[in-house]
Amino acid sequence: MRDQYEVELEELESLLREEGELVDRAIRGALNALARDDLELVDELIAFDDEIDQRYLRIEQGIPSLLARQTPVAGDLRLVLAILYINLHLERIADYCVTVAKLVKLAHGLPRDAGVLEALEEMGERCREMLSTGLEHFGARDFKDSQALIDMDRPIDRANRKLIDRLIALGPEESQREWAMRMILVSRCLERIGDHAVDIGEQDAYLVRGRFEEFTDASHKLPPVKT
Amino acid sequence: MEAIRTKIDVAGQERLAEAERETVFEARDVSVFYGGQRAVDKVNIDIYQRLVTAIIGPSGCGKSTFIRTLNRMTDLVPSARLTGELRYRGIDLYGPKVDPVEVRRRIGMVFQKPNPFPKSIYDNVAYGLRILGMKKDLDQRVEKTLRAAALWDEVKDRLKDSALGLSGGQQQRLCIARAIAVEPEVILLDEPASALDPIATSAIEDLMHELKRDYTIVIVTHNMQQAARVADMTAFFGLNVTPEGSREGILVEYDKTEKIFTNPSDSRTEGYVTGRFG
Repeated sequence: MRDQYEVELEELESLLREEGELVDRAIRGALNALARDDLELVDELIAFDDEIDQRYLRIEQGIPSLLARQTPVAGDLRLVLAILYINLHLERIADYCVTVAKLVKLAHGLPRDAGVLEALEEMGERCREMLSTGLEHFGARDFKDSQALIDMDRPIDRANRKLIDRLIALGPEESQREWAMRMILVSRCLERIGDHAVDIGEQDAYLVRGRFEEFTDASHKLPPVKT
Repeated sequence: MEAIRTKIDVAGQERLAEAERETVFEARDVSVFYGGQRAVDKVNIDIYQRLVTAIIGPSGCGKSTFIRTLNRMTDLVPSARLTGELRYRGIDLYGPKVDPVEVRRRIGMVFQKPNPFPKSIYDNVAYGLRILGMKKDLDQRVEKTLRAAALWDEVKDRLKDSALGLSGGQQQRLCIARAIAVEPEVILLDEPASALDPIATSAIEDLMHELKRDYTIVIVTHNMQQAARVADMTAFFGLNVTPEGSREGILVEYDKTEKIFTNPSDSRTEGYVTGRFG
């Protein structure tokens, strides 16, 4: 029953899955560009964002059309709304990847610190893990482990704060300070990617349980970390 | 630190808070039989004052049968029999001392097809009032009723014309006017808009929103979006096929309309409202 409707719903979800895979590639690309100081990759990455935007737009346009024609309710309605929000989160994550790429370009030629780069790499890998966990839960209609996302996000937040101290201690040279500033922004981008992944987990929970709950919010974050 | 879990409540739901609800009907294990055949099996439901309660469900699930038990219209079917208990304001509706005519005065009904009397618009509204001896200020009562039914402006200059000359939507609003003229407490509507176009339908739906300030409304509808638009509470009736192969209507789920259409508890409700089964 309602074959066309089912097809359209599945199409939206598969577009979202595709977008998620592309976004993961974008994070990986941003991390590689950073680690290797690879300007060619930076340009590729900036161009690659169009691929993601294309999926984003198709979902964005598909949803009002589906709502208007098929009036989804109950679980279908929650699915459509979850797709709508996750789509936004993915698009934002991709934008952060572009920002990281641009920062790599701006930091090119400045003295680098291996320890800082390693920490950023670690943060980025955590982000990828969180994103894939969030999207897997979505696909599996599973929210039990959404707590895992919060647990995974904590070290990212902590690393973000620690990095700042580390960057301040880098050295007094102007070039050192400039690199440090760029890397603070990279760190901030990665931290935000983690937050978007947590929000994707909230959508998983909404989809499965039928009520929205905020796992954490900006005013109820973790206690300050003593370093 | 524990994650902060904030429950987001949608404003406006307070209206339906348990404490404020006053029960008009209480059905306890109500079953309806036509001859030996059970049409509705053991329905348990409380219907609340000044809310719109929608009954939805597939054809043959007993929704019309059930709504007709609420004002003893089922009495008019010779083979029909009801078991269980159906209370209206705490009184057993099927008790020996209850007068079905009085029941139907307090609990009015409007049917699927507009069925005005072949009389003038005025007389359609005045008919019940005259019978009940409510003849004082008849003109004012007719006007007030037609206004309440959102029909006055359209008919005030032709009150003496035949009601049969009205459009389908106007005829249906006239039937609602006829039902509310005798000042009932409850209005039962059995598919009131299924024979109407979308504009006439939306006039009836607007009217329901108006009328629920003063009346308790129960509506049977095939149109799920209509239930979603007008009802505060929604009851989903489903079909149960017995091992012997006979089909009986059962109440599957009854909850706030918002819950039924965003997060129903029963997978059969989900299947029906999303259009997958039933």
